[in-house]
Amino acid sequence: MIGMAAASAAVARGTRAPEELPYAQAAQQQQTAQPPAAPPAQAPTQPAAPPVATEAPAHIGPVIVLNPAHGATDTGARGENGIFEKDLVLEFAMATRAELQRQGYRVVMTRTDDSNPSYDDRAAIADAFRDFIFISFHISSTGTPGTARTYYYQFWNPFTIAQTAPAAAQTVPYAAGKNAPATAKAVATPLHALIPWEEAQRPETEASHRLADILQADLAQHFPGSPAVSSGAEVRDLRSVTGPAIDVEVSSVAVTDPNSLRVMAAPLAAAIARSIAAFHPASAAGDK
Amino acid sequence: MPRNLKIALAILIVAVLAGLISLRGLHRKIARLSESPTTEEQARRDLLAPPISTASDVATTAKIFWAAGPDRLAPVDVQMALSADPTQRAKQVLHALITDPPTEAQRTLPADATLLSFYILPDGTGIADFSDALETETPSGISSEELAVNSIARTLENNVPALRRLKILIHGEEVDTLAGHVDLTGFFDLNPPGPPPAPLNSAASAVAPAGATTAAAAVQSAHH
Repeated sequence: MIGMAAASAAVARGTRAPEELPYAQAAQQQQTAQPPAAPPAQAPTQPAAPPVATEAPAHIGPVIVLNPAHGATDTGARGENGIFEKDLVLEFAMATRAELQRQGYRVVMTRTDDSNPSYDDRAAIADAFRDFIFISFHISSTGTPGTARTYYYQFWNPFTIAQTAPAAAQTVPYAAGKNAPATAKAVATPLHALIPWEEAQRPETEASHRLADILQADLAQHFPGSPAVSSGAEVRDLRSVTGPAIDVEVSSVAVTDPNSLRVMAAPLAAAIARSIAAFHPASAAGDK
Repeated sequence: MPRNLKIALAILIVAVLAGLISLRGLHRKIARLSESPTTEEQARRDLLAPPISTASDVATTAKIFWAAGPDRLAPVDVQMALSADPTQRAKQVLHALITDPPTEAQRTLPADATLLSFYILPDGTGIADFSDALETETPSGISSEELAVNSIARTLENNVPALRRLKILIHGEEVDTLAGHVDLTGFFDLNPPGPPPAPLNSAASAVAPAGATTAAAAVQSAHH
């Protein structure tokens, strides 16, 4: 069950911080951040799924990996009027891709058709990049229609690397996210140790939480009734992602007219673009 | 008219009448079946999981966590007989969680869900094995799935102090997610409760089932 991701990748990832690099250096780093050149973030035992679609290669900054959840026989939430989560999230992701590409971002989708890559394949697509942001789309079957929520992965149990990895002479402290469970105390993490594939998101929890809060604050302004802050949850599709990763969940498939959800696509895409720019200032339009 | 023809016609008429009568009965049976109040899963639960009672049962107040909104849980104090044996006690509170929500709006787990088995490992890990209905009938969505998982975890941690963490299985097997979103591949930490918190708001009282007393402060399901 425990596939091991290269852990030094996370340590290296912690030292990257493109926003601190000069423009040209960041650009060069991005140019080299192609899947074949950046395998360390990927678990040796996990499938090396190639990105489905890559566009706008001239852009700098993080690659934006959009993940329309579900697909194929996994319909996700189902509305009584024949609304399937899998179809609408694909439309949301497509609209977001168009908006981000319009602003010059490089966008990769985990699926562009009615297929259903595994959770690990989807994570592997993102993890192949050195610098990326992972955004997953969902539609709930409950909740107030017209609202949207963002989630980051919140681990229930304490960091366990120190117990599972081979002893190492040098250690770095692991700082739990500010909203991490009380049990998630700081635990020494061996440098160059392996990160369990199942916990690849853990070192990114704080960054993911920050991105989720930025987006949620924007969503609260544009979709009345949405909460002001994001929530932590154990959402499966984020767990093995080695970069900032969030879920966006729109409510809900219970609406009678799917068009009432479709009209949310454009403002949602715009909110995501603004939030990415705020989260990653080096990639904002003014800096391009 | 020849006699043979008369006999044949009479037999034919009797056969048609008999057919009509039996068809009507068949129609009634089908109607009764379609109106049956218990599903197959419920019938199985009635057979396999009758109310749990043990020799060590003592009347006490259990804290059962039901929904207090679309993404919030609130503990409801329920007077019930609980066993001294932690395994049986866990079964009793989970049985109550599924079968006795004060109102349908407070339900967090599908009515058809059944706790197939529960056992505790020496390290304090509780293994809760639920029927398929938990996976197939929980409303798909991050909030609703979080609510379901948290209601199980919070109810166990507040009533079975011996438990340290929880693993949820579906029909004896580990599954990726509850209903497409919330991760069930890991363990959920359970923290035995400290001193009871003061109620935040007296208006937080909820309608409790027979024997219930009060509802305590609401807790947000997503944060624990």
